[in-house]
Amino acid sequence: MKLRLCSRGDLPTCEVRRFELADGRAVALYHLEDGFFATDDLCTHGEASLADGEIEDGRIVCPYHLGAFDIRTGKATDAPCHIPLKTYPVVEIDGELFVEGEKVEG
Amino acid sequence: MNAPHRWLQNNPGLGDGPIPVEPYISPEYYKREQEKIFSKVWLCVGREQELPKAGDYKVKRLDAAKTSVILMRGKDMRIRAFHNACAHRGNTVVTETGEETFGASKAAIVTCRFHGWVYGADGALKLVPQESNFYDCFRKEDNGLAPIHVDTWEGFIFVNVAQTPDATLAEFLGEYAGHFAGFPFDKLSYEFTYRTYLDCNWKVAHDAFAEAYHVETIHAGSFPNAFCGGLENVKLMGPHRTSAVCLTLGATPTAVATLANSLAQGSLVAVRGESMLPPTLNPDHRPNFAFELSVLFPNTLIHVSEGIWFTHQFWPMGHNKTLWEGRYYVAPPTSYSQRWALEHAMTLQRNAWLEDTATMEDTQRAMESGAKPFQNLQDDEILIRHGAHVVDTYVNA
Ligand code: FES
Ligand code: FES
Ligand SMILES: [Fe+2]
Repeated sequence: MKLRLCSRGDLPTCEVRRFELADGRAVALYHLEDGFFATDDLCTHGEASLADGEIEDGRIVCPYHLGAFDIRTGKATDAPCHIPLKTYPVVEIDGELFVEGEKVEG
Repeated sequence: MNAPHRWLQNNPGLGDGPIPVEPYISPEYYKREQEKIFSKVWLCVGREQELPKAGDYKVKRLDAAKTSVILMRGKDMRIRAFHNACAHRGNTVVTETGEETFGASKAAIVTCRFHGWVYGADGALKLVPQESNFYDCFRKEDNGLAPIHVDTWEGFIFVNVAQTPDATLAEFLGEYAGHFAGFPFDKLSYEFTYRTYLDCNWKVAHDAFAEAYHVETIHAGSFPNAFCGGLENVKLMGPHRTSAVCLTLGATPTAVATLANSLAQGSLVAVRGESMLPPTLNPDHRPNFAFELSVLFPNTLIHVSEGIWFTHQFWPMGHNKTLWEGRYYVAPPTSYSQRWALEHAMTLQRNAWLEDTATMEDTQRAMESGAKPFQNLQDDEILIRHGAHVVDTYVNA
């Protein structure tokens, strides 16, 4: 099922924001020049929220140890990060942004 | 004509004898000042405005208290203070690049660059890489940053590195706090700063700024015939002290100063209004009032005037080494001509400060010769006499 994040006007270009989904995960939504992208918000190196990091050249730089990931592919680009980040396709319907998620139980 | 000994008459307890030079040149005396003063009392370390956003931080070195303090604004917008020391193997957590190191962290954290331990703005240890390799007795909860007492007054941030301070900041400031309450420090936010290291004792630097007697001689170049009125309204308040410095009315300003003064309120050498002054300042409404000169014990001078305030701070780095910081604040300019007028005022002030600091190393060298074991103070040098008295009382407590 599709999980709504926000309206496209809510997130200015070159910014990132964290969303907690109904199924318990947290995703980071990014607005780049060529569109919206989403990844897990949790860094794969430690317990850091990537939405607290800075966007630099299409990468999200983690605030804790300055490791980084490619926002579009999730690939780890800078040490100490080496495990890739899960990415989510972002779907836009009538100006609203959604990611695919599992149905919430119960 | 003022009575030539009026301040002594008002404060007979301070005596009228010569003041020993020993406290200015003795390494041993300085050690006691570190222990009994700088490690015990509240020290002014900045302005809240320097840390406007959550996650902003500044590290300030406090040699005299043998530490560096991290001041950090949390996501709850509270400013907290910690020693800049890592619980792992003692490295500085924030790598310092000088006397003051500024940084910003959207996540409101600081990371030790040695092995990557991460601390929150509340001081908590949030992350230890390879944590499972540490032994069972290691607990993250017990290994946060070591806190330092912090409090604020009128937008100034103070720290006290004592385990348990003898007094709250409000108690420490006492009457001094009320004396300046309501002055618009925040609105006069356009700042310029000078700092330098001086090979002199911190009290040599303090003393050079705590009287107006020197003005007619050493500032004959930058402030000719400007402040020859001496001190007025001297008030001693516990360890702190204040007074008013007056202008010589009728001295003709230069043509360029006249133009600058007509454009912006940036220069001390101009007739001042009173709209911003709390009623405690210039209570007799002297028309020649120039600025209030106050000493916030131990090492901060705060001066205020209509449209201007400025501070001097003297940070000891040894018995004969001092970091001096001068900061001058006015209202932000709203036009290019005002910008120019303020540059003019600041340049004048800078010249005067160069004249002030120029004597300090000479004074120290001559004092260290031992040729003159005492200094002789006149009545208008009462703030220096009081300062020497207060320091000695603390050191011998
Ligand atoms: S937690 Fe993200 S780089 Fe270490
Ligand atoms: S000394 Fe700070 S992480 Fe090792
Ligand atoms: Fe001076």
